[in-house]
This record gives sequence, structure tokens and C-alpha cells, in this order.
Amino acid sequence: MKKVVIGESVSRVDGRLKVTGGAHYSGEYPLPNLAYGVLVPASVTSGTIVDIDSKAAAGSPGVRAVITHFNAPRVPGYQAGAAKPVRGLKLFADNKIYFNGQPIALVVADTFEQATFAAGLIKAKYNRESFATDFRSNLEKGVTPQGGRYKDYARGDASLLDNAPVKIKQEYSLPSEMHNPMELHVTTAWWDGDDRVTLYTKSQGVISSQRSIAAAFDIPEKNVQINSRFVGGAFGSSLRTWPHEVAAVQAAKMLKRPVKLTLTREQMFTLVGYRPLTIQKIGLGANTDGSLIAITHESVSQSAVYEEFTENSVNISRFLYASPNVMTRYKIVPLNVGVPTPMRGPGEATGAFALECALDELSYVLKMDPIALRLKNYTESDPERNLPWSSKHLKECYEVGMEKIGWSNRPAVPRSLKDGEWLVGYGVGCGAFGAYRGKANAKIKLLPDGTVIIQSATSDIGPGTGTAMTVIAADILGLPTDKITFELGDSSLPVAPTQGGSATVSSVGSAVHDVCTAFKKKIYGLTGKPEDSTEAIAWSELLPKLNLPYLELSQESQGNDTAKNYSMYSFSAHFAKVYVHPLTGMMQVKQIFATVDAGKIVSHKTAASQMIGGAVGGLGMAMTEEAVIDDRYGRLVNGNFADYHVPVNADVQQIDAYFTDKPDPIINPVGTKGIGEISLIGVAPALANAIYNATGVRIRDLPITPDKILEGEEKLG
Amino acid sequence: MNQFEYIRTTDSKAAIKAMTKTGEAQFLAGGTNLVDLMKMRIVVPDRLIDINPLPLRDIEKTLTGLRIGALASNSEVAEHPLVKKNYPLLSLAINAGASAQLRNMATTGGNMMQRTRCPYFFDVTLPCNKRSPGSGCSALEGYNRMHAIFGASTACIAVNPSDMSVGMATLDAVVHVSGPKGDRSMKFTDFHRLPGNEPQKDNNLLPGELIIAVDLPASRYPQNVAYVKVRDRNSYAFALISVAAALDIRDGIIHTASLGMGGVAHKPWRLTAAEAFLAGKKPVDENFRKAAAISMEGAKAYVLNKFKLTMAPNAIRAALQQAAAKA
Amino acid sequence: MARKKIPVAPDGDTTSASRRDFIKQSSLLTAIALAPGSVIKAAEERWDEKFAGIFEKLPLHLEVNGVKHTLSVEPRVTLLDLLREELQLTGTKKGCDRGQCGACTVHVDGKRVNSCLSLAITNEGKKITTIEGLADGDKLHPMQEAFIKHDGFQCGYCTSGQIMSGVACIKEGHAGSPEEIREFMSGNICRCGAYTNIVKAISEVKQGGMS
Repeated sequence: MKKVVIGESVSRVDGRLKVTGGAHYSGEYPLPNLAYGVLVPASVTSGTIVDIDSKAAAGSPGVRAVITHFNAPRVPGYQAGAAKPVRGLKLFADNKIYFNGQPIALVVADTFEQATFAAGLIKAKYNRESFATDFRSNLEKGVTPQGGRYKDYARGDASLLDNAPVKIKQEYSLPSEMHNPMELHVTTAWWDGDDRVTLYTKSQGVISSQRSIAAAFDIPEKNVQINSRFVGGAFGSSLRTWPHEVAAVQAAKMLKRPVKLTLTREQMFTLVGYRPLTIQKIGLGANTDGSLIAITHESVSQSAVYEEFTENSVNISRFLYASPNVMTRYKIVPLNVGVPTPMRGPGEATGAFALECALDELSYVLKMDPIALRLKNYTESDPERNLPWSSKHLKECYEVGMEKIGWSNRPAVPRSLKDGEWLVGYGVGCGAFGAYRGKANAKIKLLPDGTVIIQSATSDIGPGTGTAMTVIAADILGLPTDKITFELGDSSLPVAPTQGGSATVSSVGSAVHDVCTAFKKKIYGLTGKPEDSTEAIAWSELLPKLNLPYLELSQESQGNDTAKNYSMYSFSAHFAKVYVHPLTGMMQVKQIFATVDAGKIVSHKTAASQMIGGAVGGLGMAMTEEAVIDDRYGRLVNGNFADYHVPVNADVQQIDAYFTDKPDPIINPVGTKGIGEISLIGVAPALANAIYNATGVRIRDLPITPDKILEGEEKLG
Repeated sequence: MNQFEYIRTTDSKAAIKAMTKTGEAQFLAGGTNLVDLMKMRIVVPDRLIDINPLPLRDIEKTLTGLRIGALASNSEVAEHPLVKKNYPLLSLAINAGASAQLRNMATTGGNMMQRTRCPYFFDVTLPCNKRSPGSGCSALEGYNRMHAIFGASTACIAVNPSDMSVGMATLDAVVHVSGPKGDRSMKFTDFHRLPGNEPQKDNNLLPGELIIAVDLPASRYPQNVAYVKVRDRNSYAFALISVAAALDIRDGIIHTASLGMGGVAHKPWRLTAAEAFLAGKKPVDENFRKAAAISMEGAKAYVLNKFKLTMAPNAIRAALQQAAAKA
Repeated sequence: MARKKIPVAPDGDTTSASRRDFIKQSSLLTAIALAPGSVIKAAEERWDEKFAGIFEKLPLHLEVNGVKHTLSVEPRVTLLDLLREELQLTGTKKGCDRGQCGACTVHVDGKRVNSCLSLAITNEGKKITTIEGLADGDKLHPMQEAFIKHDGFQCGYCTSGQIMSGVACIKEGHAGSPEEIREFMSGNICRCGAYTNIVKAISEVKQGGMS
């Protein structure tokens, strides 16, 4: 096998397991005496449980337990005054109902069928209380989130907007959107004695899961073993430990046998977070040459009555463009709904949708090319923090994207280009996402046959973490990739951060880089060579020669203080070409071209796939996805894959990714900035802007569905 | 899912007999709808009669047309050479529905028995007259974006979700059923019913009756056909509006037209007034526009489906344009 | 294991069912074995829940990936749950359990179906192929190779269904163009968004003449 260097295209290291069905996800470990848990959701939206009739369920064949707040074993972390209190909803801890679908019981039986059937036999009496799920009619309840992080921001005097020669003031909204990874959330748990528990659970962070479970059950962290080797997608939904995971552990303890609790697809619409419904007001004031005078960005998002959720939906307006005057404001409205959780691109995707659409609107008022407008307001340093960028190659993204999408074909006048009976339009949307680097540990172990194992307690929810780490290690060690095994998804491995915020390659990749580099130095030392030698190491001869059974090294890795002097972001520009049928309103996304400055790309093939996948997610955000609550009942009416539309194969034609691929000199030794979020962030505005360009219909309320196109066309006359 | 008595048979008469015993019984064919309904506790049968072994799978020529066995799968029908050649509209309609996997499982008769996708029908905790007669219609003032604009009642505004049925109705198919009281036939357009005061009844089958076959008459529309389905994504979604259009164009004049619409009513909706209007006219957009307008007489929308009043005539026009353009 | 496989001999004998179940089952099994073509009916008695054993298990003969199985299953068990929970063939995935995602796609007698909507008992005598049965020993099926080559997946959870569906898509003659593949692969949702790569993989296998 040939030598691999950072940046090469390699096939996934776990590809064979995934294409043969050999990859085992958290619900797929056969355990002796396994019992099956099924949750019973509340059918009211607010109030208290008066009584639960579980007799029929308990007497149903195969049922081993019906757990409710009447009989649930005490969870130490749920108690008042707990050393490490569990955040958020505490299942079966009391009789309170905060949202429709909140679990009121857990039925455990010998088989899945028995548990599911018995769950349907549970009858509850409630004391119903008034509730609020209607976001728009409760906007006045919006509050500034607690803590200083989300206070109003002002730079200069944003009121100058009102006197600007050219102004845009518009409102943009998006509905709640569900992560909906293909794998159902599942936890299998069993106890070994009273203070030792093992979980196979869908997790983006095995260390974080370990800490949460240890805190909930007041046992030492080392007594909690979390396994999550394969994760069937997550997109943020497994960033935290959810109440049902605690419930599975609770049930296993109560029954003294392994319990597997799998959420149904329907339950995943209420119990594992979502991107919250958000309304944003954007104001843009500009000179006639396009230079921005002022930006205002106000955002109001849905949150839950029992737990506060916040995200960075307004921040992007503070730094993406040069504007001397900026005001942002962020509020949340607590409702009787499940708590949101970050969903791919989190607040930045929400914010970029509003800002980038508004900018597009401004371009038409100015009769200016949207890219020219962005270039006019391009900023070579961070205007929010007054710091230089660690790196920024967004102009290159513009240039390449324009060429690849055929931007010169874009009509300056909307609704003026046709292909047959289809209207054709082009659009662009830009984005930025903070480049982070967390503290991470990695361990390397050389075996006598010259193969190495590298370990870190990180996760792979799909991007190809193991592949990227293997490439980094292969490059540094000079070993073929098939001689390297990267192990993850196991809390007993060296501590690493949760997979989130696009930071895994930056954090864990740096640890792998550092431990491999140090390992090489160590070997040069052991073999009497200078530490900075570049000589190839004869790996398979090494241990026999040194007469060692193995050789290992652990290393902790984190960023240095230099990074504080820079503002570090990934940047993107997404270009879209869309066809719209003027009679039916049906749309075809002909092409998306994603251009991104994410620093150095470690593994081109998997990175490109991640960019393409993010674009598909953005397509869903723009055009298909919307969770709907019937506010009379407080109940979701489309909580399934037939009625909540995620994009299907026929929605996606051509998507390509381009990377500037220039290493960031500051953030980490490899120079990588992260692509998980940026892959989605500018997509929705690119599509919305392309649809406007095609039709002349400006839709500011996502998703853009055929009915909205036709309604808009009617208004056009 | 509840426990149930499972019966498997190779004999239609035995199946029908098993259906008439005490307790709620259901015929099980492809299961793509029934098994889902059972999982959701909307249908809780005491007895399932697995009719898959019945000899009702054949697709064969009749004297004038084609007979499709009730157990012929949706994909077998859509891909059948005689269907593709003589009834291309039916192929288009079937392939516009569901997914390849579901079409492999779903049968002709089962597709006709498909229940509505109204979200309130699917939620056992909420009122729904179709699921629980007398409990009320949650859709009337609720999330009714997908709902009917024709033939609805105050008891139910749900729509029939089938694409195949729109095709069958448009092609003047005839349904053959067999029951405890013998065999009978009815027009496909008479098979499904409007909700009226009994929305729990989707169709006009009598207790114990089994669909045996669907007959297609002599082919009139082998050429100028189109099936336009407007939906929230480009595949694998139920129709907001669908239109089946078939034109028999002779010497530049529409000899006969046959039009059906889905997503608008409790049954596949034939556009007979528009058909009458188009007969003898030129296949030009002006006439299509008029035909579309005629089709909308009597339409009534609810809060969230007003767009259908525009989308439906537009889709009719688009379907007629496409059908006429086929050379 | 909580849910033991109860092997059933061809004559309907059972090895580990309770005596009551055994008596009831063997009469049933006889009906199946001796009277093919007749109505197979369960007991006339209406048992209460705790004694519903008679309805709980029926014999089922399946061939899965070339291996013949004689099983005893509750009629309410889906083919998907039988594969995953009983036969430990977890390569076939559950993504929605309602025929709305395609993760559970397997081949039944060569045709792709959603195993979550197929009651296992209705597959009597049929041949099931799952992702575990696609490769020829260590030699991957061309579709599996193509998925690796074109990176037709990320998290891997929908992959088994995509591959089974892709193989069938070609066999059905619906892989004539990227557009046709997209339409006929739309019953398999990929939330990671690997669609373009999936289409490339299927196109390549189609062009290479899949065996």
C-alpha cells in the first residue's frame, strides 16, 4: 500500500464494515436476558398526572415492569441538592407534564412486541392546565436568555439605518426542524453490581455521556462504561445525555437485567431536540454604492418552559461584513414543547438565512450583483472583535463558485430566464462558523508486527473521524493506512471532547498529530538518532530489535495562547441553480456548488461527502422541512418520515464541493478549521435567493414549498 | 401491535367466510398500509386473513381490455408490457406513488383499500370521525393543508391518498368483488365514496366482500397521457394535487378526453365537465385553461389549503399540456 | 436470551414451548402441514391475554442468505424484527418502522421490500437476502465495492438498505440514467445526504454489468 499524506482522498477505514452490515450500532449488541423498553408519551400538553392505570399493561404477557413516577427508583442526580444535578427534564421524578409527548411511563418486557403492545394499554388521568405552544401569539413573552452571553450587542449607532439612502427591513422565519438521524436513538444498559454500569448508547461524546450517567446515579465516572462505536447520524441530537437514556439505566437497575430502550421515529420528534422555530428581523442600510451603513438583526426563538435553550443566531451579522454600525438582539420564548438542541450549523445557519437573504434583497434594490455587493463589504479583519482573521480566503470561494455555477448566466432581472417551461434562477449564500480547538488526548501503541493502534475517546457520527485520524497518523508516521487502527467511541479511551462544533479534526486530529510526532521522536531517541530526524522508520523491525513487547505513548494536546490574538472562522459561499415550474410550483435544485475555506483538508473524499451532505441538509431546511404543532392540542401533527419531509434522492441532482485547502497558520498544527457546520450554513439562503431569481417571488418563511410559490405568483399578478 | 388470529388461505371463498366470523377481521395482502395502521393502533383486528396465496395475481388480456388480479403488485402492474403499451397513464400514476419497495409489496386491491393520510386519523388521542365515528373532525379547523376541496362534509375533509386509483378511475376501470352474497361489479369511480355522514366508510364494499380483479376497458389512450403530481418533495410524498390526463387526439382535434384528480377529495375525482368541454376542441392552452376553470366549479377550501384552488387548475393545465405534447 | 428461538420440527414438534402451547401448536401445525390450500385457522376459543399462547407462535420456514430456518414466531412480529432481534442479522436497519425510510430494505424472492411492513409469518417458504448475504464470502458484491469507492455513505445506517435497493434497482431495469436512478432510489432516505455518491455508485455498477 502506498504512502498516504494529509489531504489525500482515501476510502473510509470502516467502509467495509458499513457496506456488509458488520458495523454494530448501539441497539445491535446481543446480550443475554435482554429486556425491551418502550416509552409511553403523555397525551396532554401541560398539567399534572393524577393517576396512571398500568394494571392491564403490567398483566400483559411478557411485561416485567411498568415504571412511572409512582414507583420509579430514585435517581440521585434528580434530587434537590444533588452534588451534580441532572440538567433538563427528569423522567418519572414527579407528576408534572411540560409538553405533549413527554414520557409518563416506561414499559419493559421480554420482547419488543410485548413491550410495545403493553405500552398502548397504559391509561393516565391528568389534571390539565393551560399551555402555550403557539410561538407567534406568544412573542411578547420573549425574554433575554440568562447569563451575559446573549445580551444585546451594539457597535456604533445602528439607528443610522433609518437615514440610509437604501434600506431593507424584512422579517424571516423558519419552523422547527428535526435532526432525524436515520438511526433511532437507542440505549442498551446493564449493571454489574450496584455501582457499575455499561451503556451502548447513541452518543456524540462518550466522555460527556459517562459524566452525565455517573452524576445521575452518583457513582464514580470510572464505573460508567460508555460504548458508541458506530453512530447512525446525529447532527447534534446526541450532543447531550437525554432523559430516556437515564431511564434505560434506571430500568436496568430495577430489573437487574440488560434493558434496551429504543425511541420510535415519532418519539424522536419530541424527545431529542430540534432546530427551534425562529423569527428574525433584519435591517440593512447602505449607500448607493452598496457599502453598508448599518445592520440590525433581531432574533426570537422557541425554547422550553422547563429548560432554556440558546444559540448564536444573530452573531454572524456582527462580523461577516464590514459595517460601522451594528445592533443585534436575541430573545427566546419558553413554550410547552420539548427543549431544542443544536442542529447542524446551529444558530449560524438560522442567522445566515436571514442575513444572506436580506443582502440579496438589497442587491436587487441597488441593481448590483450580489457578489459585487459582498465584495464591497468584504472585511479583512474581524470588525466585532477587532482582531485579524487567522486566515480568510472567501474571495477565492466567490471566484471559483461563480465560475462553476455559471454565474454569468444569472439574469439580473428576476423571472427572466427560462429553460423550456421551467423558470431558472441562480443564488448565493455565505456563511461562517467559528474554528475551535479543544483539549484532547490520544494514545499510540506500536505492536511487534509493525502495526499501530491509536486511541481517543472521540466519536464518529458519520463524517469519517477514524479515516481522518488514520490519514494524519499515516502521514506523520510514514505508515500505510492499513497498518493503522484508530479506535474511538469508548469512554475508557483517552479523554477527548464531544463531536460537535466542527472541531473534531482540529482537536482530536491535533492530539493524533502531536502524539504521532512525539512518538517518532521517542523512537529516534531509542534508536540513537537525532530527535528531528526525517529518516523513515522500519516499523516492523523496531520492537524485535529493541526487544520490547510493545511501545506506547499518550499525549494531551491543546491550542496555545497565540490563538487568542486572532479571530478564527471557516468561511463558505454556496451557489445554487434552481428550476421552478411556474404552473405547479414544483422545484428542482439543478446544482449546488459549495466553496469553502476550512483551512487544510485532511481527507478530501470524506470531506467532500460531508460538504455535499451538509448541502442536502440545507436543501431540506430551505425547501422541505417543517415540524407542525396543532396549537389547539399542543401536539405535533406531522411527526413521522411521511409527513415531515427530509430530502430524498430525487431532490438532489448535482452537488460539488471546492476547498481552498490552505492551512490556517494559527489554529492547530495541521491547519484545519472544520467543515461540519459550514457545509450547511449558507445553503438555505443560496436556494431561497435562487428561487427568487427564478420566479420573482421572495419567500421569507421556510420551507419554500410549491404552494408558497403559487401564492407568491398570484401576488405578482 | 395486538395479538390476533392469523389465518392463511388459498381459497377466496374460505377467505370470505373467515371474514364473516365474529370479531373484527381484516384481509392482509401487501400489508403496506394495514401493518402500519396496526402498529399505530388505528386498526386492531381480532383476525388477519392472509390472502396472499389466493390465485389473484394474474394480469391477462380480456376480450376487449385487460384484467388485473387484485393481488397483482403495484410494480407488476406498472411494469407490465401491456399496461405500458396500452395504458401508460396507469404506469405513470402507479410509479408516482410511494417507493419502489412499497410498490413491490402493495397490491392492486390493497392500494384501493388504502386509508387516508389525514394526521388526525393517525393520532388515536385526537378526535376523528373516520377513525372514531362521532368524535368530531379535528381537520376542519386544524392542520388541513393536505385536505379536500371537493365533496367533503362537515364530518370529514380527508382525501384518498392513492395515485393508482386516480389512474384507474380516469381509465374507466371496473372493479370485480366477491362476497358472502355472491359476485358483483362496479365502476371504479363508484368504488370509493364521499364521506357524507359516514366517513368511517371509505368505499362501497359490503361486509365480507373481497376485491377480485380490476378490468380496464379497451385502450383509448395509448399515447397522449400525463400524470402530474404536485408534492412537497420530488418523490416519495403524497400529493398536494395530482392530475391524470388522457387525450385521444385525432387530426388535431381532441376526440375524447379523460381527466382525474387526486389530493382533492375523499375519492379519485373525475373531471367530467372538463372532459365534455374538451371533446371536439383543439388541444391548445386556451382550451386547457378553460377546462381547468370548469373543473374547479364547486371547489371549497379550508384555512390552510386555499392554495389548492390555484394549484389544482394549474396542475390540470400542466397535465393537459404535457399530454398533448407527447408525440 | 429473553426470546428464545423455538425450533420447530417439520411435524410440528416443539422443543421448548410450554406444554399448553405445545398441544395447541401441534394441532395448528398439523393443519398447516396436512391441509395445504385449506383455511388454516386458529382455535375457536377466545383466550384471555395471559393464555394467548395459542396465538403467540406459529411455525415459519424461511431461507435467509441461503440458510434454511425453521422458526416459531408470533404473527405480529415483522420480518425486520425477526431478522434483527431473533436471527441477530442486524445489518438490516430500523429507521422508522413504518415504510417511510427504506433502511429495512431486503430482498424477498429477489424483490426489494420494506421488511418493517412485512409480517414475518407471511413470508413462509420464501428466500430472504439481507446485506449480510450479498457478498460472496470475502469477495464483496460490486455494489458494495462501488459504495466504498464513491463514498456512498457517511454514518452507514441507511447503507444496507441503499445497497439492497441499488442492486434491485439495476435488476428491475430502473438504472438507465441518473435521473431514473434518483427516482427509483427515492424510497431510501439518507440523512447524511450521500445521494449524489449513491447515484454514482449505482451508475458505475450498472455500466460495469453487475452480475
